[in-house]
Amino acid sequence: MIDLAMTLMQASAVLPLASDDSPIWLLLAGPVGGGATYWLIYRYYRNTDKSHHFERDTLISAQPVQGGEQKVHHISRTRDSDIDGDNSGQHRERVRRVR
Amino acid sequence: MAQLPHDPDEPRRPAFDGPPPTLEEELAAAQAGAEPTPSIETVNEELRDGLNRCPKCGSTDIQLRASTGQLVCLFCRHEWQEERVEEEFGLGHGIEELEGTVIASGAADIRADVADVVTFKCGGCGAEVSVDTTHAMNARCHWCRHTLNVNEQIPNGAVPDAVLPFKLTKEEAITRIRDFAGRRRLFALGRFKREFVPENVFGVYLPYLVIDAHAESQYWGQGEVQTRRWTEKQGDNNVTYYAADVYQLERRVAYVVDDLTMEGSSERATIAKDNTNNIINTILPFDTKNAVQWNSSYLVGFNSEKRDLNVEALKPKLEDQLLSIGRSQVQGSLQKFNRGVRWEQEKIDVGGSRWVAMYLPVWLYSYRQRSNGLLHYIAVNARTGETMGSIPVSHPKLLLASLTVGTVLEGVAAALLVASA
Repeated sequence: MIDLAMTLMQASAVLPLASDDSPIWLLLAGPVGGGATYWLIYRYYRNTDKSHHFERDTLISAQPVQGGEQKVHHISRTRDSDIDGDNSGQHRERVRRVR
Repeated sequence: MAQLPHDPDEPRRPAFDGPPPTLEEELAAAQAGAEPTPSIETVNEELRDGLNRCPKCGSTDIQLRASTGQLVCLFCRHEWQEERVEEEFGLGHGIEELEGTVIASGAADIRADVADVVTFKCGGCGAEVSVDTTHAMNARCHWCRHTLNVNEQIPNGAVPDAVLPFKLTKEEAITRIRDFAGRRRLFALGRFKREFVPENVFGVYLPYLVIDAHAESQYWGQGEVQTRRWTEKQGDNNVTYYAADVYQLERRVAYVVDDLTMEGSSERATIAKDNTNNIINTILPFDTKNAVQWNSSYLVGFNSEKRDLNVEALKPKLEDQLLSIGRSQVQGSLQKFNRGVRWEQEKIDVGGSRWVAMYLPVWLYSYRQRSNGLLHYIAVNARTGETMGSIPVSHPKLLLASLTVGTVLEGVAAALLVASA
């Protein structure tokens, strides 16, 4: 059921892009709203998404960030509003480790 | 050292690096074993005999008074506390200078051959008294009524370097648990509501490893900067297009982490869908700077769980968390990339770390859901009062609410469609 709610939420995010100007997509408001209600209440009760925010709640003293960037390519025309696979805000998502 | 080019036709000979070692030298080298790991000795020497006496009257009837966070003698009412480990062992300083892995004596490796049951010779009458450290750290001599305490750091994970005493009283914990569950009554499972008795909360000292470390992490990836945005008419629709510059970027940051806290029990450290251990994880952090030197009298009247994870087993988790911390530190330098950043590679170099084992205080209410066997926790941080819990939900009630909301929204949508037609 949670998966269903998630799917419905994701579907609601995609719908405006996939649809034309006809407001027929409004008919999905019921299933999407119902699924979101289930998911939000379930999460409020079970708190399955909660964990210790060690990135924020630990005493950390960092030196200034170093590094640089180099332009390697230009995209002249795309319908994507953001980069594929944006993980800059998902600090716990691990990528390939360099040893 | 530079190597001379080797002729492939000539048989390879071992390089000469001095005369061969004598038999005595070889034996000494074999017995020397691995390089010793630097350590901090945290044994409370004054309590080595297992008798925790009141410094004023000498009685062994001692326990924690949670409202003051101090030990109290039940005979003469004198109150005192052990030294804070932060100052006693210099844990607040020198993190930048740490090299390698420094392990305090209470966080040393657990040995499988060490028994959980410790036998004492009572200092009062000489009788032999056994304490099962799996469940208790104190026992009363059945002959002379002296209280005997496990203070020696036996390598079975039962005695840590430090303990953070309970501060919240049981009554305060009950109030917080009742409030937490009270706000979640409507969709809670009926059986849970009938069987909810917050007075059954119990105080437990859970084992944690508290880590200081300095590290440098490095990240590589791609970022995109939007250069243009325009709309084109396609039939009846307006379609938005974007142009962007793509950058290859690299970031690195050095940082010092003070008192990063991790579960020392493998059971608690396992966070999965079939348990609610994330609840106990969520009530971190504790004010670990106020932890005091070990004295098992702090545990009188409370339960405790033994540590069963060694430092070596937790090192991958430390690296993982440090990488996450580094990623959060570099995020502020990515504002230019308004179409986002995709990190592809990362590297961590832990310059040095210091590991201290602590018992941290938790008020824990548990409820096993009979339909699926899931053990739900409501946990209260017994220092900060932070409360988190998992309340079993009634799925029929939840479905009814969802259907009601869905139906109302569908009705509104249909009305809008009719109106626009």
